[in-house]
Amino acid sequence: MVITLFIIITIGFMVIRLMPGSMYADDADMTAAQMEILRAKYHLDKPIPVQYGIFLRDLVLKGDWGTSIKMYIGVPVFDVLKMKIPVSMYNNLFSLLISLPIGVLLGIIAAVRKNSIVDYTTSFMVVIFISVPSFIFATLLQYYAAFRSGWFPIIYEASATGFAKLHSLTLPIIALSLGPIARVTRYLRAELAETINSDFMLLARTKGLTEAQAILRHGIRNSLVPLANVVIPMFTHIMSGSMVIERIFSIPGMGGLMVSSINNTDYPLTLAVLIFYSVVSLVTVLVVDLAYGVIDPRIRIGGRHIE
Amino acid sequence: MVEKERPILSVDDLSVSFRTYGGRVQAVRGVSFDLYKGETLAIVGESGSGKSVTIKAILGVLPKNGRIDAGSILYNGEDLAKFREKDFHKIRGKKISLVFQDPFSSLNPIMIVGKQITEALTLSLGMDKDKAKARALELLHAVGIPDPETRFYQYPFQLSGGMRQRIVIAIALASDPEILICDEPTTALDVTIQARILDLIKEIKAQRKLSIIFITHDLGVVANMADRIAVMYAGKIVEMGTSEDIFYRPAHPYTWALLSSIPDLDTKEELVSIPGSPPNMISPPKGDAFAVRNKYALELDFEEEPPMFRISDTHFAATWLLHPNAPKVEMPEILAERIRRYAEEKLANAR
Ligand SMILES: Nc1ncnc2c1ncn2[C@@H]1O[C@H](COP(=O)(O)OP(=O)(O)O)[C@@H](O)[C@H]1O
Ligand SMILES: [Mg+2]
Repeated sequence: MVITLFIIITIGFMVIRLMPGSMYADDADMTAAQMEILRAKYHLDKPIPVQYGIFLRDLVLKGDWGTSIKMYIGVPVFDVLKMKIPVSMYNNLFSLLISLPIGVLLGIIAAVRKNSIVDYTTSFMVVIFISVPSFIFATLLQYYAAFRSGWFPIIYEASATGFAKLHSLTLPIIALSLGPIARVTRYLRAELAETINSDFMLLARTKGLTEAQAILRHGIRNSLVPLANVVIPMFTHIMSGSMVIERIFSIPGMGGLMVSSINNTDYPLTLAVLIFYSVVSLVTVLVVDLAYGVIDPRIRIGGRHIE
Repeated sequence: MVEKERPILSVDDLSVSFRTYGGRVQAVRGVSFDLYKGETLAIVGESGSGKSVTIKAILGVLPKNGRIDAGSILYNGEDLAKFREKDFHKIRGKKISLVFQDPFSSLNPIMIVGKQITEALTLSLGMDKDKAKARALELLHAVGIPDPETRFYQYPFQLSGGMRQRIVIAIALASDPEILICDEPTTALDVTIQARILDLIKEIKAQRKLSIIFITHDLGVVANMADRIAVMYAGKIVEMGTSEDIFYRPAHPYTWALLSSIPDLDTKEELVSIPGSPPNMISPPKGDAFAVRNKYALELDFEEEPPMFRISDTHFAATWLLHPNAPKVEMPEILAERIRRYAEEKLANAR
């Protein structure tokens, strides 16, 4: 885990430094001497490996992530993140939390009523929601549910709290969730339909359980196990979707920060955002692995054997 | 054999077909048999001959694309072929139980085996939890599982194939059924384990006065088990008789072929496999379905389907060879020789 993170940081650092465009290159009102001083201050005059060494030293020994050098000049990037993360996480986690149960429910209905009108309708929606990118829905929602009808605010109201905040984030959350809901639905439908045809479902029925009992006790739980597999891609999907969605609804979150820090060649900030996303992904992987152990005895007990 | 008694299960002219993209698959085409109390009836035939479909129809668990086209399944004066899903709840597990082929897939991998047994008792019989557990432990003991208290809390993946099949048998016995249907219960197991599971089935049959339908593709497996044997081919029963009839006086060329394909440990004869493969059941051939693979086939076999000819009170076969006007055709000499040898051995053993 630490090693993975180290590799990500290293590659991230290198890629960011090798990006075209140099810091301050476009600042016409700066003299060459001023530029030299600034470059020296941020060690940009040194070879990249040396820069990397300095960065790592500060990070590990002082816990110093560096300071923003262009967008929030002089502010430690860590503080910038602290300001932005809650806004984004609010959206992303909310989206994850509603996508899972809704997707699971729709998947179950579609699988149990396989080849019925309900199933076909769901499958049709699934195809649409998976193939059309979320910013299209965001724009449509913004136009119809906010601009035309006025049900929701057109853009995020930063000052709102509590319910009003949720209200102003409803559209972005919906736009973010449609894709993930469709993914979960599709996955669970396939998984459950297969489980329903399995031998142990047949045995459950021939030993006297009703179809509903068999599906509830043997079908659903068994198809939830592999669902953990889609949670990771789902969460990264939500996060990448939110970069664009945040722009559309003017939400001052991580997505916007990532894009603008890259455009502004604010190296330390870009790197910090990158590290943040990596850590979140790694934590998701970890949580899913642990969850596997809880729901799947083959992993829980199999693991104990080896110890 | 318990003859004149009324059968407890009576299948009459059962036909089952499946809707597929290629057309209707006629998996079972007019199967009839009776099961008498306390007997073991074996249904034998190559894979794909419609054995599993027949028993799924009996238990009302046909796949969604399948349906019963004709025929009746009489049990206790009721026709199971006309049952709806909810009617089956008083039958499945409680009156008729099923043990099937693959103990690796027939248990839920993420539920402890004990619960898979008690579930049948608590959910469908309404037994309370403690009682159900006591009964499950009893059953585990009865099917020869050592240390039931520990095994109760284990998951299927912690048990061997033979153990799992014992668990499946325990589940099948949980609600004390009258009829146990075993669909190739040993096919997925090692030979040594096979023999033990067969012994177990024989033992519980005797103890519990069960009637058994035993399905297999291997005549050798049922030699010491079955009272009567039905030989099935391409969705039909082609020969039916007591174990003696089938092993010592086989009449249908398909039965001859099946018998010839049992490995014989005494001689070094080469195994005779049946040439060709079973017909496509979307458009079954006219006449005798086995004719194309049968070197004894008559011209008539390709034209018209043979009826069931009665050989004795217990023995029937559907082949034109039994027609009074048919040319005299004998079974292959190798097989006849083998049967003579077995008969002598048996006589010798009896003395
Ligand atoms: N769900 C299904 N859809 C279409 N055909 C099926 C289905 N189930 C079984 N069949 C067909 O029915 C025939 C008999 O199958 P089965 O009873 O399983 O054979 P076996 O004698 O080996 O148990 C086979 O030809 C098989 O392909
Ligand atoms: Mg079968």
